[in-house]
Order: sequence, then C-alpha cells, then structure tokens
Amino acid sequence: MSGRRPRGAGIRGPHSALTDFLAANNISAQEIRDSYRQRVQQAEADVAQDATTTDNGEGPSNATDVEQVEEDKDDEEPAESSTMAAERSRKRKRNQEEAIAKIKKGKAAKKSKKSKKKKDSDDDSDFEDTLEMYRKAKPLPGQLENCELCEKRFTVTPYSKAGPGGGLLCTSCGKEMAKDAKATEKAKKPVVRKGRRKIESNRLDGSTFRGAKSLQQLCIEKLASHSEDIDEFGEMPAPIMNRLSEIFSKKRAMNSTTFKLFLQPDLDVVAIPEAAYLETEDFSQIFAVVPRIKELSLRNCCQFKDENVDYMMEKAKHLTDIQLLGANLISNDKWIDLFISRGKDLRSLKLEWLDAAFDDQAVEALVEFCPNIVRLKLERCKQIGADSIDAIARLEQLQHLTLRYQNDIPREKLANLILCVGDKLRTLCLEHFMNSEDAPTDDILIAIHDTCTSLGKLRFSENSECTDAGYVNLFTNWPNPPLHYIDLNSTRDVDNTAPEGPEDYPIGLASSGFTALMAHSGSKLQYLDISSCRHISQQTFTKIFNPSQTYPYLREVNLSFCPVVDTEVIAGIFRSCPMVKKVVTFGCFEVKDVDVPRDIVLIGAPKAQDAIEQFGQVFMDFQKDLRQEMGRNVPVLG
Amino acid sequence: MSDSSSTEYVTLVSNDGYEYKILRSAACIAGTIKKALDPHSGFLETTQNRVELPTINGVVLEKVCEYLYYHQKHAESKDVPDMDIQPELCLELLIAADYLDV
Repeated sequence: MSGRRPRGAGIRGPHSALTDFLAANNISAQEIRDSYRQRVQQAEADVAQDATTTDNGEGPSNATDVEQVEEDKDDEEPAESSTMAAERSRKRKRNQEEAIAKIKKGKAAKKSKKSKKKKDSDDDSDFEDTLEMYRKAKPLPGQLENCELCEKRFTVTPYSKAGPGGGLLCTSCGKEMAKDAKATEKAKKPVVRKGRRKIESNRLDGSTFRGAKSLQQLCIEKLASHSEDIDEFGEMPAPIMNRLSEIFSKKRAMNSTTFKLFLQPDLDVVAIPEAAYLETEDFSQIFAVVPRIKELSLRNCCQFKDENVDYMMEKAKHLTDIQLLGANLISNDKWIDLFISRGKDLRSLKLEWLDAAFDDQAVEALVEFCPNIVRLKLERCKQIGADSIDAIARLEQLQHLTLRYQNDIPREKLANLILCVGDKLRTLCLEHFMNSEDAPTDDILIAIHDTCTSLGKLRFSENSECTDAGYVNLFTNWPNPPLHYIDLNSTRDVDNTAPEGPEDYPIGLASSGFTALMAHSGSKLQYLDISSCRHISQQTFTKIFNPSQTYPYLREVNLSFCPVVDTEVIAGIFRSCPMVKKVVTFGCFEVKDVDVPRDIVLIGAPKAQDAIEQFGQVFMDFQKDLRQEMGRNVPVLG
Repeated sequence: MSDSSSTEYVTLVSNDGYEYKILRSAACIAGTIKKALDPHSGFLETTQNRVELPTINGVVLEKVCEYLYYHQKHAESKDVPDMDIQPELCLELLIAADYLDV
C-alpha cells in the first residue's frame, strides 16, 4: 500500500473492476511484480556466482540478497585461496545434483531439506511441492510394486515397510531394515556397566564403605572433575586443601594450571602427591608464591632441577621438611649445597627413587651439616651403600628412620647403626636388606631388642635370614612398650627346592615368634601385617585369635599368603578384635563362606566367587552395643 | 532421644534467614549439629530445637539438607549413586561440609 501512495495525491486514472477487486482484497500487482523480479535476480546472481566463484564481498548488493551473503559468510572463511574456492564451487554443484536427486526421490527430500544448504530454497521448495502433488499415489495392499532397495517386484501387504526414500520395501529388505533399526536403537542406549574393576579397586584402596559418601568427599570429587573451571579456592582449611591435592593427583588433574590453585601465600605446606605433569617453572612458582613454606612434599617431581634447588635455597628460608620422590635431575653437588644451605634447620628429609645422583658423599654432607634431622627416609636410592649407613649412625636426633637399600649392606654396619641411634627411635622401618656374604644370623633383631626402647612402629620385611628364635628373643622381655604398628611381612626363606624352609631351624616369623609378638604388643596393636609368614601354624592362629583373648585396638590385619588361615581363624579375629575394620586374606584358600560382621571388610577371600571382598551384613551377638550407637561409619585407611 | 523437650523435627537456620525443618535423625548425621543438639551438652539449641548456622547461606544449606536426607536414605545400601551437586556450589558446599563435619 505504502508503495503506491506517493504516486498520486488524489489523482487517479481509469479503474477496471479487477483493479478495484484486487485493491479491496489488499492484493497489489506491484508487489507481485517486485517479488517476481527479486526471484529472477537472485537466481541470476546465483548462477553468476557459481560461474565466477568470486569473493563474497563482491556478491550481489541488493538488499534482498543480504541473507544469502550472510549465509555464505557463515559457511566459508572470508579469505580463502583459489583452490578452496574451486573446491567450494565443486561442492556446491555436487549439492545441487544431490538436491535434484533427492527431489526425484520424493518424500524424503522434504525432510532433509533443512539440513541441506538453504541456497536454492525458495524456488526449489515450490518446485518440490508441485512435484509432490503430481506424485503417483502409493500402491495399496495387494498390488504389485518394485522394492525401493533391491528393485524386485513384490506384492504389497499391510505390513510392508517404508524404505529410506519413502517407497515400499519387499519382505526381505524390510526385515533387514528392522534389524538395523534395532541395532542402532541398542547402540544409542547408554550401557550401564557396574564397573566391577573400579569397585574392586576402590575397595582395595580402602575407600568403600556402606552407605553414601561423605558430603566432603562428594564435593571434592566434583571439584576435581571440574578442575579446569576453578579460578580460586579461597580460604580453605588445610586438611581439605591436602585432600583436594590428593584427589587432583589421583585423577591426574594436577597440571600447570590447576597446580596454582594450591599455592597460597599464607600456606606453610605444599604437598603434591603427583607432580609428573609439572614443569621446572612451576616448581619455581612454589617458592615465589609461598615464601614462608615449611614443608615441601613433591612426588614424581621429575622436572625438579638444580635451578629449582637454587631458587628454593634463596627464597624458602623456613623450609624444615623436604620430601622429593624421583627428583633425578638434581645433581650430587646440588644436594650437598642444599644441605649446607638448610643446615641446622632441616628436620625431615624423605628421598625416594633416586638413581642418577645422591651418593654416599651426599649422605655424609647431610649428616655433617644437618645434625638436627629427626625424620629420615631413604628408599630405593641406587647410589648409596654401606658408607652412608655409617654416616646415618652419627645422626643423634633421629627419631624416625626408614631405609630400603638396593645395594648389599654388611650386617655389622646395619647392627651398628641400630646400636648408635636405636634408643631414640620411635619408628624403625628396614625393608629388603640384602646380604649375600655373611652367614645368616639374628644380629639385627638382637640389636633392636637391646637398644630400642621407645619404638611405636616397626617394619622389618622381606628378610630371609632371621630365625623364629630371633623373633622370640626380640619380643621376649623387651623393655620397649607395646607397639601399635608391626609389619613383618615376607620374612621367610626363599628356596624353590625347599619350600618349607630349612627343617632344623625355621626361618622367618613362625609360631613361637608370632605368639611372643602378640604377647608383647597385642594390648596396643592397631595394625598387623604378617603376610607371607608361611610357617605360622593353624593351631597358633586359633590359639591367639580365640574369643577369650581381646586385642582392643587392632583395626587392620593382613594374613595374606599364610596358607593355614581358615574360616575358623577369620571368625576368631572377628570375635577377639572389637575394633577390627579390615581383614586381608589373599591366597588363604581355606577361607570359605565366612559370615562377615557388620562394618568389617574382608578382602581377598579367593573362594568367594561373587566378590573378592565381602561386606558384613549381620549383627553378631558380640556387636550388641554397636547396634545401639549406630553412628556414622568412618572407613579406616591403612 | 527420650528427652521430653526433643522433637521429631529440628530447624536449621541459614545466615540469610531461611529456615529448614528437617528430621532430627537426619540433622544428626552432621557431626556439628549432632553435638549442638546433644541433650547432655546443655547448649541453647537443645531447648529450642533450632540450630543457627551463621556461616552458611540458604542455597548451600538447602543442598546440605538434601544431602542429609540422601545420606539417611542410603545408609543401608551399597554402591550408592552419587548425589548431584552443581559445580558452582561445590566450593561453598565443601567449606560448609567441613564445618558441619559431614
């Protein structure tokens, strides 16, 4: 209407009846003409564009084609090479051909039109619709028709299936099609797997228990899975920070970005259990951001280099506790520099898995310059040998000592070490000490018995020399108060030709040694590991774990690979240890069909077909008071 | 729970004034609330059956209440499905959970 008005104010030419009718019905010949011209122009422009494949910017400039130009811009990069342009034109032609093919096919083309390029939309859809109108009607049941897929002639029934193109299918093709449809439907449905392996893994980690996870645990796991999106933790209590760090590490989410979340200037502890993804610069960040750091704990810090040690010496003036695992790029001299620089302030040093550097000289420097070391842990450091043992013997303040050597150590040196530092020790862990030269004796156990008087934790494992009599001697009339943690795993003779060990004197912890152990420490013992102590008899087990005995604090027991342990022994443990939470019995083939009491986890019973681990279901008669105060059950971690 | 003044439901109040009335048994899953409502503690909370939590806002407290019921519901089952937590709520909820000891 508005288009016509300026033509004349009040001046009108002769009117035909048709013109009046059209005007009354709001139909304008002008509009019809315009829209027709538009369409023609657009079609021409399309053709022109296809032929020349010019740049988009030079496309048709009239307003009606704005949509078209925009669409092209979306589809293609503005700055494209001529090859790409050629490719594009080929593509377009192909599309056009496809479109025509589809139109011919008929019905289905209408559906797929949307996904197709909108380019030739208007004209085509009109065309298509007319085509639709003139299509042959589908044959009715009883008539004959060619199958859409295999072109065979067949009789149409009410059950004939429609093909992908809209036509009908013969019976065999229809069946085939139905089968495919079912398969895709199945694939679409998410397969809910129980993840048995994951569940078992969690159980062995000690992180399963009845009921829901704690809210903290849920939040931390959620945070870890969104680690990339967190900007800042804000004020977090230290234990939660620590837990977060552990879970981030476990999920391998501790990288250069997320790691910075754990650096806050007011912290004095930085503990990264898994630092393998961190780079040299990241480690320097620690000391730049947290200059007041007191405790540093980095595991798998492969990229911790000399320059980091330099920077650490310069910045971290309050550092007292250092734990580094796998820091193999630090040179020997740098270790010595570090000990000189930290000197009397260094309280705790834990180094593991060092094989390139850190030799006896470094240990001697440590002892020389850091006399106040209270806690020392050296495990699997390949370069150190007997001389370092002599050096450690001069550390007078030592209270916690953990050693695992790769090299042969003469027994007298080790015994001498214990004699020198033993009386102050509260933790003593000696793992896997090899000695191929001297004849086996119980000297070490005698030394422990004679000097250690304040031990709380003792680990003496993978030893194939000390005899049962030696262990009896250790735990009899020992002035040391009862221990809370004992690990004597794998103390046995290893000889394939004589699996029972030497007959005249049993090697390793056996019946009388175990009896003496429980007599000495049973009253305070919380953790007991005697796996692979093969010579403890069944009678001894039943005598020790019988209901008349009580071990009030025992929480975790590992009896794996003690072949005589049977259902009776396990039941005895449940009754005589009121606090027990976890019993591990890998390789104990006599353990069958145990009724596991509530809130206790039995792991590793090999005859249990359905689950490696069994959750207690029943309240035992001795658990009456437990039932009354059914509070929350906290899982016990080893 | 034989105390005469103790009711079946208790009220948790957020710092922005939202009140949530939830089962006492569920509320006591949270260690801090349990201690506050312990009849032997002699705290004011025990007589009013009302716990004010000035460090927790309404949105977070609602989620906490949801968790408490979720925990109670699943107390006996194994392999419990994890509760859904919006990521943006996680940090605040974590701090609240630490404070409440759940």
